[in-house]
Amino acid sequence: MEIIIKILDNYYYFVAMVLFVIGLHTMLTHSNMIKKVMGMNIMETGIFLFFVSIGYVRGGRAPIIAEEGGLLYINPLPSALILTGIVVAVSVTAYALSLIVKLYATYGTCDADEIAMLRTREDQ
Amino acid sequence: MDTAIYNFLPVWVVIFPIFMSIVIFVSSRRSEKMRDGLSVTTAVLTFISVVAMYPSVADGGVIAYTIFDILPGLGITVRLDILSFSLALISSFVWMLVSIYAIDYMSHEHAGDRFYPIFIFVLGSCLGIFVAGDFFTLFIFFELMSLISYVLVIHEETREALRAGYKYLIMTIIGGLALFFAIILTFELAGSVSLSEGTLITVPSTMAFLAFLNFLIGFGMKAGMFPLHVWLPDAHPVAPSPASALLSGIMLKTGAYGLLRVLFTVFNIPLVKEANWDILLGVLAVITIVLGSAVALTQDDLKRRLAYSSVGQMGYIIMGMALLNEKALVGDVFHIFSHALMKSTLFLAAGAIIWKTGLRNINDLHGIGKKMPVTMGAFTIAALAMIGIPPLNGFLSKWTLALGALDAGVPFYVFILLVSSLLNGLYYLPIIIAAFFGGENEHEGEESLALEYDDATYGMIIPLAVLGLSCFVFGLMPHNFLFELSLKAASFLFQSGMP
Amino acid sequence: MYLHLPVLMVVLLFGVSFVVSLLGKKRRNLAFQLTLLVLGIVFIISIYLLQHVGKEGPFSYHVGGWPPPWGVELYVDYLSAYVLMVLTSISFVVLIYGVEDLRHELKSDVLHWYCSLYLLLLGAMCGIALTNDLFNLYVFIEISTIAACGIISIKDDRKCIEASLKYLILSVMGSGCFLLAVAMLYMITGNLNFTYVAQELPHVLPLYPYNIVIALSLIIVSLGVKSALFPLHVWLPDAHSSAPSPSSAVLSGLVIKIYAVALVKLLFQVFPPQIFEVIPVLDIVLFLSVLAILAGSIIAMVQDDIKKMLAYSSIAQIGFVFMGIGLFEGRALAGGLLHIFNHAMMKAMLFLAAGLIIYASGIRKIRDLKGIGMRMPLTMLAFTVGAFSMVGIPGTNGFISKWHLALGALDLERPFFVAVILLSSLLNGIYYFPIVIDAFFGTQIMPQSEHKDVPALMLVPVMVLAVGIIFFGFYPAPVLSFIERAIGL
Repeated sequence: MEIIIKILDNYYYFVAMVLFVIGLHTMLTHSNMIKKVMGMNIMETGIFLFFVSIGYVRGGRAPIIAEEGGLLYINPLPSALILTGIVVAVSVTAYALSLIVKLYATYGTCDADEIAMLRTREDQ
Repeated sequence: MDTAIYNFLPVWVVIFPIFMSIVIFVSSRRSEKMRDGLSVTTAVLTFISVVAMYPSVADGGVIAYTIFDILPGLGITVRLDILSFSLALISSFVWMLVSIYAIDYMSHEHAGDRFYPIFIFVLGSCLGIFVAGDFFTLFIFFELMSLISYVLVIHEETREALRAGYKYLIMTIIGGLALFFAIILTFELAGSVSLSEGTLITVPSTMAFLAFLNFLIGFGMKAGMFPLHVWLPDAHPVAPSPASALLSGIMLKTGAYGLLRVLFTVFNIPLVKEANWDILLGVLAVITIVLGSAVALTQDDLKRRLAYSSVGQMGYIIMGMALLNEKALVGDVFHIFSHALMKSTLFLAAGAIIWKTGLRNINDLHGIGKKMPVTMGAFTIAALAMIGIPPLNGFLSKWTLALGALDAGVPFYVFILLVSSLLNGLYYLPIIIAAFFGGENEHEGEESLALEYDDATYGMIIPLAVLGLSCFVFGLMPHNFLFELSLKAASFLFQSGMP
Repeated sequence: MYLHLPVLMVVLLFGVSFVVSLLGKKRRNLAFQLTLLVLGIVFIISIYLLQHVGKEGPFSYHVGGWPPPWGVELYVDYLSAYVLMVLTSISFVVLIYGVEDLRHELKSDVLHWYCSLYLLLLGAMCGIALTNDLFNLYVFIEISTIAACGIISIKDDRKCIEASLKYLILSVMGSGCFLLAVAMLYMITGNLNFTYVAQELPHVLPLYPYNIVIALSLIIVSLGVKSALFPLHVWLPDAHSSAPSPSSAVLSGLVIKIYAVALVKLLFQVFPPQIFEVIPVLDIVLFLSVLAILAGSIIAMVQDDIKKMLAYSSIAQIGFVFMGIGLFEGRALAGGLLHIFNHAMMKAMLFLAAGLIIYASGIRKIRDLKGIGMRMPLTMLAFTVGAFSMVGIPGTNGFISKWHLALGALDLERPFFVAVILLSSLLNGIYYFPIVIDAFFGTQIMPQSEHKDVPALMLVPVMVLAVGIIFFGFYPAPVLSFIERAIGL
């Protein structure tokens, strides 16, 4: 019972982990390369969520310093870092997709297994 | 001033041939005469330089210094004592004669441009082993010599040669790794691998045994010790004869030299006795002797028979070490000399026969003595020395070894020596008898040998004759120069092996 | 003044990388000149830093003037100065070779992009060596990953594209794990700076042991994937063998090592030693390294493509580095770190020599290399030196690193690892020596006419590296003394 309460208290961590695992699983097991890229993004989203939620303070507000003091702010650092992380993720996604386009142009398929099959047939 | 020159000589005898090998390589592009001349000159000058080192070691002097450190406690060092001088002397002497012999012999072979530089380079690295001041330096030159002489082994580039060469290479790598392991264990246990710091390991332990075992594998491989001899009978016969003479006559001795250093410098006599390693060594030696001699009997190829005979003879040398007393050591060192002279004579003679007639099979050699009297004369002296007939040098070394065995209280070894001499007789005498007393009519069919005098060129028979005579000269008088040298070396070694 | 040098290196590399990419295909000579100039400058800076740190000790630099824990800190200690030297020297030599080779291997309109990616990769690797900040480390790792994939896929041949996609997907998985680990460390310590995290960790270890263990495991997995630690090496053989030769040299020589360096930095500077009592990470790394050494060598033996063989050999050799890390103490660690430099030299040289052979004759299959030594004596001589070094013949630098690893293993009374080292040397001999022998003594198959001459500009870097192998085989003291100071011997 206690563990369920703990999980419910920290549900955002839990969700982040679930996303991470879904993404990782998709990335490693699916043979469709587009799905691999999608898995990659889901995984990274999971991590970003996790990272951002670290800095969240319940009841806090955006860290824009107001005139009146004594307000509760959330930790701005994780959010700032994750902005960088998102940029990296986007560029990697773009790069991976461009590679897939190239492969599609050569083989006519986005499926890694099929490409491997085509290649072995060619080698013979 | 003088000491500076003497100190420099050990380095010089290594650097000079290695440098000259490059010069020879360059000159071979220009003219073959120049190449041949340069290689002989280099060998002769090296021999003279080695002789010139004698005064600095004659009275038990030692030259030892560090050239530079690679790592703390590990560097390139030089050490010249009477034992290293002895081996360097005999090596450069045989090398010089072989280099003269090689000029005519190699004129029939291809790729002389490759042969001579390598031939001289191996001389340098071989001398490097002897003047090395620690096991690390020794190891460098040992590996260098072993790996480079691969090129000599496969010189003829036949399928057979390449296969034998591959075997040789793999065994060399394994031996090198075993040595590496042994050296690293010694370094770990003693903090040094120098030859000049007295006994390095004094306490028996598992690690020490592991070190000994790996030294035995590494050097025993080179020395053709049972059961690591398997490469030798393949590799030595396929090489061109001058190279076989050096492989069997000199390079095997580097293994023996290494083992001597291990027994008397890394460890010491009480330790070896206490740990019973001498028994292990003795057993291996006996098996090596008997096996080498017995298998030699069954070989029809002349050079293969000689190669197996080398295995047997190296067994004597290992046995001499296993006895661990001074008298046996004298025999041991003297047998290193004797065997170097005898075996190079035999291989060169076999080479001359192959060169002249193309015959390698022993059964085809009937009457060859009438055709090539000088060659077969030298062969006969050396073969008789192998058997141990007085007054030849082989007798003297066996006699001293036998005395040592009796001193040590193991008459069994004397018995082994006798059995092996008998076997030697069984496989050498028929060759000699057939060569001199066999006639033309004993040939079956196509291979007929013209029996008028037609010996090899002077360039080949003079080195042969010199080597053959030296077998005789150094056996005739019990107190000749080489024997004195072995006496000194043995007592020096024995002293260093006592705590 | 010297304080700004570390950041100057990274900024210079990134900045020029940007400029070079704008140059356009018409001015590709200028692109190469500029790139070489920058690499030269960076090399000089790293040498200066090396001797400065050697004399005056480590120093740190606060980027933008913000002191830690707020700002990003660059820290030049003995290890990073050493690694910088390795990175800049090898990459400089490799690009000199690349000037000619790349014109041959790549389409002419991407040459300036190659320069740009190369500089980006080097800048990111220098950043990894220098940074003292977890998130900054992540960013540099990502940049180097993308740039590394870039210099493979730039060849625009489908093998390369496939290989780089495989590399990219696995690498991104690794980066994801790394970022997650960073998040976990940040969560419990509230800091990203190595020094501050390291201060906090011993205090929070009893409170959140699982967090730290998971973070450590994730870091090992992520850096293990990127440095091709067995069994996470699956991407490496294709990627390294299909890439253009200079890329292969840099990837095998430097890129996989830099992640090992990052791991050493994290294990040394961030994680408290008590963590190893909770989870035997080092033993796992050791176990994997032994598997890597043996499996890499054995798989390399059955390859018929020379570059693929070299790639598998890299897997085995990175095992030595990880063995040093796994033993984690004294001379073994020094040996592992020294092997970073030594293997970088050997493998870069071997890949470049293989590249020369492919350039001159088009041969990639090992069995077709018979007799090549007669036509390319210098190249094969260099290859022979490399092979000797791989086997660990004394007088080559490979011997020195093996010597240290073996001594270190004996110091820790684990002679098993010495046996592994020896066995791997034997295996190396079995697959390297036949190539050398066939090259010099085999009968040649291909007619002379198909043979192209090798420009001196390509041959010189190979020879320089070959001489370096022998030089550092006899004179390792300066490098070694640095490493020993880095690990506090």
